Amino acid sequence: MLPLRSVCGGIWRAAVHTVRTSRGAPPYRLLSSTCDGAPAALADADTIFALSSGHGRCGVAVVRVSGPASATALRCMAGFTQRLPPPRTALLRSITDPRSTEVLDRGLVLWFPAPRSFSGEDSVEFHIHGGPAVITAVLQALGSVPGLRPAEAGEFTRRAFQAGKLGLTEVEGLGDLIHAETEAQRRQALRQMSGELGRLYQDWSDRLKRCLAHVEAFIDFSEDELIEDGVLNRVDVSVRDLQAEIERHLKDERRGERLRGGVQVVIAGATNAGKSSLLNKLCQRPAAIVSPIAGTTRDVVETALDLGGFPVLLSDTAGLRDSSDLVEREGVRRALERVEQADLTLVVVDSAHLPSEVDRAAAFLREHLSSVIRISRCLLVLNKADLLPEKQRQKLDMELRGVSGLPAVCLISCQTNEGLKDFLTVLHSSVKTLCGDPLFGAPTLTQARHRAHLQRCAAALAQYQRYRDTDLALAAEGVRVAVTSLGRITGRVGAEEILDIIFKDFCIGK
Amino acid sequence: MPEVRERRTVSSWQEGTSNSNNYSLQSRYTEEHLSVGITWTLKADGLQQHKTTPGVTLVRNRKLRSSSPKLGDWINVGWPDDAILRWCASHMLRKKLPFLHSLLSPVSRHVGHLAGHQYDVIVVGGGHAGTEAAAAAARVGAETLLITQKIHTIGALSCNPSLGGVGKGQLVKEVDALDGLCGRAGDWAGIHFSILNRRKGPAVWGPRAQLDRQRYRDFIQSELLSTPRLTVLEGSVEELLVTEPNPEEPGHHRVTGIRLANGSHAISARSVVLTTGTFLSGSLFVGQTTSPGGRIGDAPSSPGLSHTLRERLGLRTGRLRTGTPPRIVKDSVDLSLAKLHLPDSHPTPFSFLNTHTHCKPEEQLPCYLTFTTPGVERVVRESLQLNCHIQQDTKGPRYCPSIESRVLRFPGRSHQVWLEPEGVTSDLLYPQGLSMTMPPDIQLRLIREIPPMRRAEIHTPGYGVQYDFVCPTQLSPALQVKSTQGLFLAGQINGTTGYEEAAAQGLWAGANAARWALSMPTVTLSRTESYIGVLIDDLVSRGVTEPYRMFTSRAEFRTSLRPDNADLRLTPKGFEEVGCVSSVRYQESLRVRNSLQDALTALQALFLSTSSWKKKLPSVPISETKSTLLTGLDLLQYNDVTFEMLASAFPESLSSYMEFAQRLKIEAVYKPHCDLNKKEIERIQREENMSLPQDIDYFSLPVSLSDEVREILDRVRPSTLGAATRLEGITPAAVVNLLNYVRVTEKKKETHRNQRHQEAQRDEELCANSASLPQ
Repeated sequence: MLPLRSVCGGIWRAAVHTVRTSRGAPPYRLLSSTCDGAPAALADADTIFALSSGHGRCGVAVVRVSGPASATALRCMAGFTQRLPPPRTALLRSITDPRSTEVLDRGLVLWFPAPRSFSGEDSVEFHIHGGPAVITAVLQALGSVPGLRPAEAGEFTRRAFQAGKLGLTEVEGLGDLIHAETEAQRRQALRQMSGELGRLYQDWSDRLKRCLAHVEAFIDFSEDELIEDGVLNRVDVSVRDLQAEIERHLKDERRGERLRGGVQVVIAGATNAGKSSLLNKLCQRPAAIVSPIAGTTRDVVETALDLGGFPVLLSDTAGLRDSSDLVEREGVRRALERVEQADLTLVVVDSAHLPSEVDRAAAFLREHLSSVIRISRCLLVLNKADLLPEKQRQKLDMELRGVSGLPAVCLISCQTNEGLKDFLTVLHSSVKTLCGDPLFGAPTLTQARHRAHLQRCAAALAQYQRYRDTDLALAAEGVRVAVTSLGRITGRVGAEEILDIIFKDFCIGK
Repeated sequence: MPEVRERRTVSSWQEGTSNSNNYSLQSRYTEEHLSVGITWTLKADGLQQHKTTPGVTLVRNRKLRSSSPKLGDWINVGWPDDAILRWCASHMLRKKLPFLHSLLSPVSRHVGHLAGHQYDVIVVGGGHAGTEAAAAAARVGAETLLITQKIHTIGALSCNPSLGGVGKGQLVKEVDALDGLCGRAGDWAGIHFSILNRRKGPAVWGPRAQLDRQRYRDFIQSELLSTPRLTVLEGSVEELLVTEPNPEEPGHHRVTGIRLANGSHAISARSVVLTTGTFLSGSLFVGQTTSPGGRIGDAPSSPGLSHTLRERLGLRTGRLRTGTPPRIVKDSVDLSLAKLHLPDSHPTPFSFLNTHTHCKPEEQLPCYLTFTTPGVERVVRESLQLNCHIQQDTKGPRYCPSIESRVLRFPGRSHQVWLEPEGVTSDLLYPQGLSMTMPPDIQLRLIREIPPMRRAEIHTPGYGVQYDFVCPTQLSPALQVKSTQGLFLAGQINGTTGYEEAAAQGLWAGANAARWALSMPTVTLSRTESYIGVLIDDLVSRGVTEPYRMFTSRAEFRTSLRPDNADLRLTPKGFEEVGCVSSVRYQESLRVRNSLQDALTALQALFLSTSSWKKKLPSVPISETKSTLLTGLDLLQYNDVTFEMLASAFPESLSSYMEFAQRLKIEAVYKPHCDLNKKEIERIQREENMSLPQDIDYFSLPVSLSDEVREILDRVRPSTLGAATRLEGITPAAVVNLLNYVRVTEKKKETHRNQRHQEAQRDEELCANSASLPQ
């Protein structure tokens, strides 16, 4: 048995790997990464940074840096050219971008030399103003410091764990913590990937995979097979184009789409359960069309809300049912996609459909839930309570609370406003919890991570060109690393997938 | 008469057949030679049946091979071919050899003797997997029995007469590094050596050789016969003997030996390695005829064996197919119409122990390249309804498809056909790429559509084989069946294709079977350290959907797992941890390792400015702008700098390492990349070192795991945390929870052990105290 500390690094890498798979099935191969840093050993680990405070209604944001290059970050961003500040003392400094020396903000900086820090490593904290623009600018600036990269899910905690800074109970809860963080990152990545940017990355990934397949085919089969001579030349062109495109993209100041921040709350459920009514009630205006006809809402209706000071992006979706109508089917598909990406789902159920006995009602709800969502957090909203007899309503209200296997249940009526106040209290506290975690609803973090992977990808493509004529194995290694780096954004690529492309494209016979 | 240093018995026995010679073979080992002695009893007319009359020792020097054999000479060709047998038989019959009695008395083991015998390891099958398994088991120290249907087909190359290639050559080098047979056999039998991918970087070089079938078989047989602790038995295995498991080990069954067909007597062993190849429920296909068999002319394995695996042990099996081309009569082919393909002018041996190949460079034979024509496609299409093999949907290898599937999948193209020699004296050619299963007359029509073969004659028609394989996810990384203690599988039975893949698994399964039998813990190879590890990990953790073949692209750490450094990667481990490597080879690998290290140190110690380097090596374009200091190692990374150049510039510090010039160049170029890989490799190895008990009940494990994850873990039963991490559907949170579980249980075990230890100590003290008490 090895010391736990050393082993954990790898496990954590595994955690990180899965997060990066943003589409569909989880990765089956975690090994295909090479040469991409993030070593397990403490001493020579990468330096990581992340926003550590929540968002929404926060005056001060805390950005944490941990790892051996922390001091470098402090030197070049807070102007400590000579000596580092005294440990664990807050100092007011101008925080500058090391590339342009432009002042980004004025804030407090704290220096925690190892081992007396949260992670046990050299650490720095920047306490800056809480606006999204400032936070983004500081994160981008940190990303440009050599040796720094955005932290992956749970990475700070991992380092604390490795350094023996966590108590026994905290270690026990570690699995849950990582689960929550990886889920949050997965959803965030899904949101970004479903847009235009996603299509761009996917296109790059497809082209890169093809390049890799063709180089691999040339290595593994060209001696025995009819691999045309032009194959490698086409790869050369492709790699050059890709590298140029990625570098251009990285320089692009707009950096793709602007994502809307905020906790993503999605209303979902069967047709005619009253989802749109709930949306209208919550935003206090008729944002969505409401009618007694099942299947009125066909597309996603989105509204930005301020819920007791916290930013919320509320989406109403088409009712879930099997339909032969093409438009409605697309609506259902979008609804399910939205649920996948949601931080919080409000599952609306028509109370009139509930069985009258509580046990059977609970079983019904459990089954219903499993048909709507798979993993994300949710609240159960039993609408149309006014249609139930008073006695049953009370019984349901009393007994469905705290039934195991069910989330919080709220009995409401959008018609009579009954129970709406209680529901708002529950929703508010859920959103508040979510906002306390910096990972939820903060697109800048995902963007910073994507940037880091794209940079690595472009650098790896340069390796291909360097070795193209002298050592094809080393050149191919460059394309492999590029595919892996991009795979961190678009989903993992396994050796079998590359072989499939090879056999599709070439007539391999030995 | 040379001194007899060691005496081993190799028994062959066939019961009930009318013409059987009951003979046994004895082998001996000396430092200078591998030697084979043969004794037998002829069960022919005029001789007493079933009485083991010691007969002859036939030993002669390989150097004297051409001259007529003399008694008492040393022999290096292992198996008695018919001529030698006849020669010996005639001498014996004329009773001219009585004086050999004393030398050979206690050698033969006949049937009755075998029956009661307990072996450590029984290997079933004498192909590439079986021979490596038997030899490896014996090297590890197990008393081993190899059972094969026909002794004279041991080491037969059933399909192509070649070894190695891209990806496969790496496997051969690794098998050799672990002291296996196939590398040295290739060097002995090779008649055309070339390194594929020569211009694509040393990490993907593919050492390959065309082989002389007869020489290959001779070498393998002579090696086996001269391997201490190894007995060979001719026979067919009817079933496995299975009993209750040892409760202290995981598993539902335990294998205790085998029962032979038509003799119905059992031979017991602590572990059994099955390497049945295409013989497990094998059937042969030619045209529309199907017949049971594993190879042309050979019966399939007994149906009882498949039955035991499926019904008794409950193993999931599947069916795969493969095929082989017709053999062409060489004289009937007009080779002037094909493109001549010459071997490397300096053949590179496979084995790390060999400095040159048996075949002299100028004695190598060429290959010929030709192409299919539209006529070939026409014949395939016209004969489809007569070709039942191709119509089946059993999975065949995508990598070695029949000519039928090639032209059907990629119509309108011309496909490569290699015409390869079958041996120095063979008058046959092997048409690589023309594997086919149509009726023989149509096969003839087809090959005659190819210009050099317009008038060709077929010696043996091509045919297809379908056979059972055991889904390899049911195996541990030691290639042991997880549910059955002591049962190991290797080769095509695990769903692979290819000699090299079979040999690699055979070696590993054999070594582990021996370790199991000798109560030593089984060992695993990581995919971070070897292609063998990649092969086994892919098999046991992902399974197969089609015959599995090795490619370099399957290895994540390809730049570290090179053919040139297989000895550094595996030989020390093979000696220190596995026990399958001889000390001679181990010492040699240490010498190489130390020399390479010293040379690299010497290179790094050469620390000069760019201008000094320019003076020393005027022909090398060293950039002027670089004012930094460069080491010899930096210089060696330049494309146009060779170690020879550096050695001639600094003879005093470098010339002693000239024998490693090429290896040093490769090491220098790859070092930066390997260093980058190193951390990732270490991480994976740490995870692979954390084993998960095989008998965990995942459904009741008191940790937080989703039902989905529990179901996956229960189905696959990963052996290590690393394997679990690689499974589809295993979440990072699940991995962390498993890690916590492993850690806690390990700790508990440790505390338990400590307690027991303390108790034992206390008891001892008490005893000691009581002993010292005055009575």
